[in-house]
Amino acid sequence: MSEMIIQEPFYQPVANEVGVFMAAWSRRLPVMLKGPTGCGKTRFLEHMAWRLKRPLITVACHEDLTSSDLVGRFLIEGDATVWQDGPLTKAVREGAICYLDEIVEARTDTTVVIHPLTDHRRHLPIEKLGTEISAHPDFMLVISYNPGYQTVLKDLKPSTKQRFVGMNFTYPPAEVETRIVMKEAGLDESRSKALVAAADKARNLKDQGLQEVTSTRALIYAGALMVAGLESLEACTMAIINPQTDDPELSEALLEIFRTFFPER
Amino acid sequence: MSEATEEILEHLAAISFVAGRDAREALPAVAPLGEEASLRFLETGRDLFFYDREAGKAFFHATANMVAAFAGLDPWLEQSRQFLTQRGTFRAVVGFFAQAATVRKSWGAEGEALWFKLGAAWIDRHVDSAAAYFRMPVATLFGDNGTTGLTALLQPADSLAKGRLGLGTYLDGAIKVRGICGLDGVAEWARRGADVLAAGRIRGEAWFRLESDEARSFLLEVLPGFRMGTHKRLFGLLLQAWTGLHLPLEEGDWSLEGGRSFLETDGRSLFVPAVMPDREEALLAFYHTGAHLAYDSYEQDAIHALFAEIGMEHPPLDPDQRITWRPLFAQFGEDLIRFQMIFDLCEDLRVDVALDREMPGYISRVVRAARKHGLPEGVAAAYYEQAQRYLEDYQQGRLSPDLADLTRSEAGIVDAFRVAMALYATTTLPPLTLTERARAYLPGHSPNAARPVYPRQKHGSDGPEVEGDSALGAAGHQEKPKETPQAAEGNDPDMEIPPEDIQGTGGRVGVGIPLPAKVAGSGRGVKGPKGGWPYREWDYRHQQYKMDWARVHERKLREKDEAKAIEIAAEYDGTLRRLKRALQAQKPTRMSPRRRQYEGEEPDLEAAVQFLIEKRAGRSPKASVYLQRRPQQRDTAVLLLADLSTSIMAEAGDSGVRVVDRLRAAMLLFGEALLEVGDPFAVYGFASKYHDEVLMYPIKRFTDRFDARARALLGGLSGRLATRMGAAIRHSSKLMLRSPAQRRLLLILSDGRPADYDDGGDARYLQEDTRMAVREALELGIHAFCISLDPQGGEYLPQVFGQGHYLVLPHLDSLPARLPEVYLRLRGHG
Ligand SMILES: Nc1ncnc2c1ncn2[C@@H]1O[C@H](COP(=O)(O)OP(=O)(O)O)[C@@H](O)[C@H]1O
Ligand SMILES: [Mg+2]
Repeated sequence: MSEMIIQEPFYQPVANEVGVFMAAWSRRLPVMLKGPTGCGKTRFLEHMAWRLKRPLITVACHEDLTSSDLVGRFLIEGDATVWQDGPLTKAVREGAICYLDEIVEARTDTTVVIHPLTDHRRHLPIEKLGTEISAHPDFMLVISYNPGYQTVLKDLKPSTKQRFVGMNFTYPPAEVETRIVMKEAGLDESRSKALVAAADKARNLKDQGLQEVTSTRALIYAGALMVAGLESLEACTMAIINPQTDDPELSEALLEIFRTFFPER
Repeated sequence: MSEATEEILEHLAAISFVAGRDAREALPAVAPLGEEASLRFLETGRDLFFYDREAGKAFFHATANMVAAFAGLDPWLEQSRQFLTQRGTFRAVVGFFAQAATVRKSWGAEGEALWFKLGAAWIDRHVDSAAAYFRMPVATLFGDNGTTGLTALLQPADSLAKGRLGLGTYLDGAIKVRGICGLDGVAEWARRGADVLAAGRIRGEAWFRLESDEARSFLLEVLPGFRMGTHKRLFGLLLQAWTGLHLPLEEGDWSLEGGRSFLETDGRSLFVPAVMPDREEALLAFYHTGAHLAYDSYEQDAIHALFAEIGMEHPPLDPDQRITWRPLFAQFGEDLIRFQMIFDLCEDLRVDVALDREMPGYISRVVRAARKHGLPEGVAAAYYEQAQRYLEDYQQGRLSPDLADLTRSEAGIVDAFRVAMALYATTTLPPLTLTERARAYLPGHSPNAARPVYPRQKHGSDGPEVEGDSALGAAGHQEKPKETPQAAEGNDPDMEIPPEDIQGTGGRVGVGIPLPAKVAGSGRGVKGPKGGWPYREWDYRHQQYKMDWARVHERKLREKDEAKAIEIAAEYDGTLRRLKRALQAQKPTRMSPRRRQYEGEEPDLEAAVQFLIEKRAGRSPKASVYLQRRPQQRDTAVLLLADLSTSIMAEAGDSGVRVVDRLRAAMLLFGEALLEVGDPFAVYGFASKYHDEVLMYPIKRFTDRFDARARALLGGLSGRLATRMGAAIRHSSKLMLRSPAQRRLLLILSDGRPADYDDGGDARYLQEDTRMAVREALELGIHAFCISLDPQGGEYLPQVFGQGHYLVLPHLDSLPARLPEVYLRLRGHG
């Protein structure tokens, strides 16, 4: 998926992430966005691509992703076979920002292809064509991953990580997150505040077997359901608790927390 | 004064100066009753004095009180003569004189007669029982139901006496049981206890002392109210969510004060009663106690400041380094409970308000629960009402200025103490007894100084989390290593390991870990190079490796206990079955296809198309065009590495459960689950004594089957020596590289920090080395993950294993079920 982003994506900066990214961009250094899901990594990058006026090509990585999926493959057209660039190759040629989202989900033999792009060589070998292409001066590689508990086995090797500028993302501070929820979900301030305060507590449970803690995205969903007329606690249950865990005690604990902020009438 | 009277007085004085004096001093209270009464009185006094000096003294000392309470000498004078009929009853008599007047005043003549009769029956039967009875504080003995209650309480004791159960043992238990589940409960408990007693004396006594599991489970069965046991995890989670604290929950006392059970803390753990009235009160108790912990009621500096208020520079510590509160209240003498209660009122208000700022509606909930519960009877009501009114006033912004001072967010326990002192000077709150005090607390509230506490570090001062690279924080090396010094012989768990592993006796090194004896001979390892496998070790002080410093030896475990393994399997039958069902339910997803295989059941369409296209383009593509459906989609190998150091032999709190008991079960369940899943796995234990004796115990190698032998080894598992974790990780990594798998997980199970006898007390040294070993493993493609039972694990595990690469399980009991579950989660489903 490649696009020039025309409209400014709303992004609420939390610290100096914009400055850091600009610096990395100025030297075309590859960037790694680390942080839990739904904390604004993708949104941030969309915003930066808009600022830099570069197309953004996003690949959502998964277990079955192959290197052909990234680099390209032959296709049949009429009687002939034609080569079609994969998204990575396309970005390398066009000078786009290529975003490999959740890179650890892909197998390591798939992701080795990015190595030569991450050092000073900045080139991409295309085995099937027997060639190597040099990256466009504006090409930039960005990866994201979530250093959580369930990715322990899929963690990137330290030697791979060291090729990137690492930017840590966490859930934004309460006032910022409240503003995000208000803006994105269109929810009133008091309920947005309550959602964020509850999430702050719920996030303390992160070591307790939760695959993911309550994300900003989940708060926005809950807010959206409230705006759509759902009763508050029910909205929290549907958008936050149910998707987060099947563990009955954890659910009960989460429900108890959200109930404190959204008492049933 | 008659001649006869004078004669007795002189006689007494001749025997003992004290006797003469005491008799003379007591006489004026009796004299108004007439000459004959005085004579009778003195005769009894003399007889008692000759019988036992202490009995006589108690008699004369009690006289004035008794005459006033009974309005004369009857029937207590006659009653007291009964104690003369047996030898050795003086402790009983002293108890009788100390309490009879109170009984007469509180329960009338009839009550007193009954009280005496029930106790006197034991004078002939068993003197110690009589003593236990008459010395038992009468308010406790009678309880809330007067004479009928007393009769009912004592009723089972007669027949139990035939089973040779002393009244003292019975009463202690019965009174607790009455507090927990009422008089009907006592009858039932005693009836079943009689059967248990008949089956065996020791078992029976344990039942009546409420020390045995069967007694506890009986109580749980009959107990009214909300059972805490099954909800412990929920409470732990909520506590963590609201306070960020991760504290172990331990079983609290069974004894109830005034019929109420309280949640208590010692600053490190929470002690959870067996039942509480209902879920809401239980929740409030966790929130309130959590607030004390979170808002520094037990914080070191605050406590120091508090003791400074009373002119003590250092709060007194008990042998366990816990702060004891007594000196704080000692200045109030008799009025101690009253002041303590007033202080609790103020401090509870402070933390409740602080919590309410974080937890909307908390105070309303307490007020609602307080109204529902209703005022207690007696003087307790005054305190209860006061506490409730404070909260209501706070809600309405009507607190008096001095109390309002406590609602500032900067207010601390010292402020509460000052307000309490001021309040104490002016308040009309009545004095109260311990039993009454128990009723005086609002729902969820309890005595704040119920236990000595381990002072806490300031809440929220731990600062931002540091990433893996940074050096260990200060927390890394303050604490003593987890192995506590062992007594020389006898109960040293190290002695349990086979004699060929250790010989002789050890000394001690500075750190406090026992120094093991030197190992005699070498080459007794399973296999491997002479002198063990050498591994380097990281020395952070010099920022370099010590090459070949650690030596790892593989040893066989010798103790097997198949019966134990079977017993554990039976105990965890339910858990195991649930686990297997869950795994089977997952199977279909795990059968999802592997693409681009060289062989398989069906063609991989996309791969086949690519193959043809590339072929036509004149290239020579690989013929990996098949789909395989195999159960092992993830292709993960796991090595479970368990810390078998001495500390696993320790009991968790005073629960009677040792760490090793749950460790065995956890490892067994893990094995069973892995069999079901089909992933290649190995199970090893490790221990160490010095850098050159790191011991690895294979329980199941990758190539072994998980069979009866492996199970028996797990059943017989025991702890020994110390924890040189880095070397064990390096060796495990070497073992794992031999197993063919895409993903390799090294799952480490531990209960404390890495430590060894030769680490010189520098906890940071082996932690840093472990951290390096984890990184080295990662470079080899081996992912280490640590499951720790150490509640303090959060202080060092993030640095050693990295964020998200560890899990702290503060509830030992949850380990068996959680271990396989954690593995499955790490491995990822389908
Ligand atoms: N700083 C932020 N500014 C604006 N929106 C944000 C911010 N952080 C999170 N969001 C909201 O949260 C949602 C999820 O964020 P996203 O970028 O998709 O998360 P991630 O890529 O980290 O999983 C976004 O769609 C956006 O609505
Ligand atoms: Mg309290």
